[in-house]
Amino acid sequence: MVVGLRAVKTAVNLPPTVRILPSGVPHASLIKLSVRAPASDHHGHGSTGPRSDKPAKWAAKTYLGAGGLVQKSNVNAPPTAHIHPRLMHTSAVALNANHVPDFSPYRASSDSGNRALSYFMVGSMGVISASTAKSTITEFLGTMAASADVLALAKVEIELGDIPEGKNVIIKWRGKPVFVRHRTADEIEEARQTDWKKLRDPQSDEERTKKPEWLVMLGVCTHLGCVPIGESGDFGGWFCPCHGSHYDISGRARKGPAPSNLEVPPHDFNEAEGKLIIG
Amino acid sequence: MGLADAFYNSIVRRNSIYVSSIFAGAFAFGVGLDLGVSSFWDRWNRGRQWKDIRAKYSEAASE
Repeated sequence: MVVGLRAVKTAVNLPPTVRILPSGVPHASLIKLSVRAPASDHHGHGSTGPRSDKPAKWAAKTYLGAGGLVQKSNVNAPPTAHIHPRLMHTSAVALNANHVPDFSPYRASSDSGNRALSYFMVGSMGVISASTAKSTITEFLGTMAASADVLALAKVEIELGDIPEGKNVIIKWRGKPVFVRHRTADEIEEARQTDWKKLRDPQSDEERTKKPEWLVMLGVCTHLGCVPIGESGDFGGWFCPCHGSHYDISGRARKGPAPSNLEVPPHDFNEAEGKLIIG
Repeated sequence: MGLADAFYNSIVRRNSIYVSSIFAGAFAFGVGLDLGVSSFWDRWNRGRQWKDIRAKYSEAASE
């Protein structure tokens, strides 16, 4: 039956032998070896009815012909019991073992369409990968930037009442030292009397201080970034020990290699609580 | 397969064009995805975001 459905016809030369059944009987489908002599209906039993072991006439008949005993079956009834075909069997005949399998259902219908689809898929993968890489890098760099709330918190408050007149305080603000000097009246006078227009970095004391008695500035020498020493130097202000820059009582560069005045950070005074806020 | 051949011949045939169009496509894809997701978010949360209900409160404040 399987062979009958195959599209490819194969001519096979069968050897002139017949298969031997496991029972030892040669298998010949058209020869019925079990046929017996034709039995008469009566056989000495009268005409009460047909013999129970004899098939009906319309189904089969057995007769002695010229060539020998002949049985003719008119009915080819399929077996009524269940059939269990043993599909997985080691001795099953391998059908068409030498033939290449038929891949035609799997082949692309068009070579150019197939090629374009392959490249499109590769390109889409590239697009998604590049987009992912870009957003990964962007998000990672974004984690390094300080957020607005962190910047808002990066402020320092100082109790001004704790700093007596004529004293320096050094505090740390954003990783850098900040000098806070509570100046005396003499120092304010001196800072304001200086002829600042002829200095290296001309800046008046009024520009540098919000309140004359409080001088707030970054303690980083503008030359190479050392921390100057307070209450020293030729001008009564700060002196950088690294290369000998002198700053006056307003933090202005007066002598030495420093190119500009000490930087003043953004700061504000909280009058009600007597606090200085840097940042 | 005119479309497939046009795609292959115009974009894929030269690798420089292929790679540049991949990067351009990645840029457009990122922008498009951002816009699409944002608009979906706004549509999904319509009436619940501050920008949707600010008008009510600012009117109430000015009255």
